[in-house]
Amino acid sequence: MPVMNSPYMGRQPSEFKILTELEGVPNSRSLDVYKEHGGYAALEKVLKGGMSPDDVINLVKASGLRGRGGAGFPTGMKWGFVPKPAGEKYLITNFDEGEPGTYKDRYIAELNAHMLIEGKIIAAYAIGASKSYIYLRGEFYDEIAWCEQAIKEAYDAGYLGDNVLGTGFKHHMDVYVGAGAYICGEETGLISSLEGKKGQPKLKPPFPAVKGYLGKPTIVNNVETLAAVPWIIRNGAEAYKKFGTEKSAGTKLFNISGPVVRPGCYELPLGYPLKRFIYEDCGGLIGGKKLKAVIPGGASAPVLTAAEIENMTMDYEAFAAAGTMLGSGAVIVIPEDVSMVHVLENLMHFFKDESCGQCTPCREGTGWLLKMSRDIVNGDGAPGDAEKIADVAGKMMGRTICTFSDAAAGPARSIPQKFAHEFLEFYKNKASAAHAQG
Amino acid sequence: MSNQITLSINNQSISVPAGSTIMEAAQKLGVSVPHFCWHPGLSIAGVCRFCMVKVEGMPKLQIACNTPATEGMKVDTVSAEVKDAHKWALEFHLINHPLDCPICDQAGECELQNYYMKVGKYQSQMEDEKVLKPKALDVGDTLVLDTERCILCSRCVRFEDEVTKTSTLGIFNRGDQATIGTYQGRKIKHNYSYNLADICPVGAFTAKDFRFKCRVWFLKEAKTVCPGCSTGCSVNLFQNSNQREYYRLKPRHNAEVNGHWMCDTGRTMYEHLNASTRLSAPLLNGENVTFHAALQAVSDATKSVSADKVAVVFTAQFTSEEYSAVLNSLKTTLKGTPKVFVWREETETEESFDGILFRGDRNPNTRGMTEVLKQESVGASILKGDFSALANAGAELTLVFGPEVESAYPSLAKALSRFVELKKSVYFGNTLNEVAKKFWLRIPVKTFAEKSGTFVNFNGVAQKLKANPPVYPAVKAVDEYFADLGKLAQSAV
Repeated sequence: MPVMNSPYMGRQPSEFKILTELEGVPNSRSLDVYKEHGGYAALEKVLKGGMSPDDVINLVKASGLRGRGGAGFPTGMKWGFVPKPAGEKYLITNFDEGEPGTYKDRYIAELNAHMLIEGKIIAAYAIGASKSYIYLRGEFYDEIAWCEQAIKEAYDAGYLGDNVLGTGFKHHMDVYVGAGAYICGEETGLISSLEGKKGQPKLKPPFPAVKGYLGKPTIVNNVETLAAVPWIIRNGAEAYKKFGTEKSAGTKLFNISGPVVRPGCYELPLGYPLKRFIYEDCGGLIGGKKLKAVIPGGASAPVLTAAEIENMTMDYEAFAAAGTMLGSGAVIVIPEDVSMVHVLENLMHFFKDESCGQCTPCREGTGWLLKMSRDIVNGDGAPGDAEKIADVAGKMMGRTICTFSDAAAGPARSIPQKFAHEFLEFYKNKASAAHAQG
Repeated sequence: MSNQITLSINNQSISVPAGSTIMEAAQKLGVSVPHFCWHPGLSIAGVCRFCMVKVEGMPKLQIACNTPATEGMKVDTVSAEVKDAHKWALEFHLINHPLDCPICDQAGECELQNYYMKVGKYQSQMEDEKVLKPKALDVGDTLVLDTERCILCSRCVRFEDEVTKTSTLGIFNRGDQATIGTYQGRKIKHNYSYNLADICPVGAFTAKDFRFKCRVWFLKEAKTVCPGCSTGCSVNLFQNSNQREYYRLKPRHNAEVNGHWMCDTGRTMYEHLNASTRLSAPLLNGENVTFHAALQAVSDATKSVSADKVAVVFTAQFTSEEYSAVLNSLKTTLKGTPKVFVWREETETEESFDGILFRGDRNPNTRGMTEVLKQESVGASILKGDFSALANAGAELTLVFGPEVESAYPSLAKALSRFVELKKSVYFGNTLNEVAKKFWLRIPVKTFAEKSGTFVNFNGVAQKLKANPPVYPAVKAVDEYFADLGKLAQSAV
């Protein structure tokens, strides 16, 4: 997918506004402003316009909306997994946002949490849940308050309660605050935490859609996914599919970090050229530094070299084809003057701290990877160590309950493989230090 | 047959009930899949990631313990890919393990050691410092915990949650700092604590009662039955291969009786076997005599009395065969039925039950004894705290079969003092005590560990005892003595 053929050539990010429509609007968080911009019209359309739950699921399926939390699973299909018979079911919003480099969900709450609330009520109607939760990480003080405020306003306006909009549909919503653990962003880890247990992923099968929160069918959706639902209901599946690529429909929030001129949260259609995003929208690297590498989808996405991003587009398929992933849309830019060995050690430190410790390969492996990376940084490495890191990481992949271990192994394999020459420098330092001492 | 499914493991076909896991199918087939966290008596944790198998059609290796077996599934547990996964799973378990086997009491029955020999045998690549954790923690009256040796399989946590429902244990902290421990201010306090040492696949939990007493490779085990209560758990009894000291009992799986567990009270059932007070010789009127002389005395005594002047006092701690032998022999010799009494501990609450295994009836063969009495059409009176019925019987010869496990009879001394008041009273027992000395005749008998025979538990399940070589070779079981008595009577004729 070469950049030059991109249909977005010449168009500005400001033209793609689904989630960020209220950007720059004064008092954007208020319910009134939201309603002025079409807020809760989708909910009215669903509940009063005679849409059945299956109609909603089919519309979302047709829109091609995929989970924005990281895995990119088709949202409508996920909702379809919930058993149809009536009974207690739960909808949970994953607002843990723990992936390093990600700050898109909090941006949505900062603009207007009602987008999320409305999307949640619609999703709850689709799967038949009368109770839903927003699970936030404990550090999100402001976001917790914004969500609570929006829920209160929604109750007062009749969008939540025993009789939503007088239609007889019952839905209650609550905020639940975690203690701030990366693994509680994994859907079954989140469910454990919500149940009051230690935040550890659960063994599958059974899958949450069948047996989740409190043993009941449960759907966990990301904030961004749910926030896109009202727009899709209002404008239709076709309108949404006009954005993005065939398999990656719609827009996505991208967070860029690293030494770029204009870092921030950008709404872009999927399939947008990565290089153009970095160099045009974000203004390139500060001080004209050269780009060394990009981590395209948060800490758990394998790294891409500057050469690899040359013709890269930002969508699920293109990243997957390059052996990495779109993830949460957190683009981390690494300039020429940062050593990849330090990047590796930094990432390994993160994963070592955040492993829940349940599965042996991950619990023991993440600590081991950190120790080996640290040895190299400290000048105690020897030729073969980078390969050993990649080798150990390879044995941690696909062997655990959740994908955390794979996430930790991703950079531990890709960095030594793609930047082997940088490791050699560190080994040399050791040799020369030994020589000087000798 | 719709509820049976057939799959193949290593090209061997096996049928299992629908809903079984690959692990269960493999166990049934006798294929060993290495595992730490899986335990058939506990829920599935799926955390050790050791039981990896290849399932045809699935891109990744699967854990055998939580993957449902399906019709026509093809499972491989021996390919190079699977073996490599097992080797690496073991390496991950061992990188922070202290490898202090020479001073670890688990050595010899440690799953880490066993699996290293089976599926490991690699040169470890771990060159960094290991994670250090608290050691030798006192977690209760019965156990010592070394958290560094722990491989965090969570079996003990699940046991506490699911079996005893005491939930004393948890895994604290995250990542490689994750540590097993008791909740703040809590100790392991229940009658099933030694099971934790059993199910711990490594040397994290060791039993205070056993640790550092004997290396396990000096022990040999015998399949027998616990004499501690009327549940009659299937056990393995461990004796030093010198055929003298006994060291411990461990539960042996029996779905009908005890499942995978046994209680701590039952674990003490080796202590009286080693007691220095074990009786080794008969005592007649306070003088040591030969076994022949003792039996001759009994034989002579039975000749001069009528059946209604002979009383037999049973405790329900002997085998069914022993009761039969006593009754049959006496019926023949006396040409009539003696008066039979059943002696029960006065504080005993036969019906009480702790909800898991332990029963208030501390006798292992109450049901067997009752069955024999019924079979022999012998009515028995119960002596419980009140011995007047026996005193009023006016017996000229009383045979008392005392409890082997004397700790089950706290009022033992009081009861015995009532028996010695009687004319010519004979005591069959195995432990020295001051009152037993005063019997007219005292004959030592074998313990449950040394005799064969049957115990029938409260539920009617009959189990055979396994006879180990006796510590005192001349001492016999009650049925053997009565066979000898029969021969004496015949030779006299």
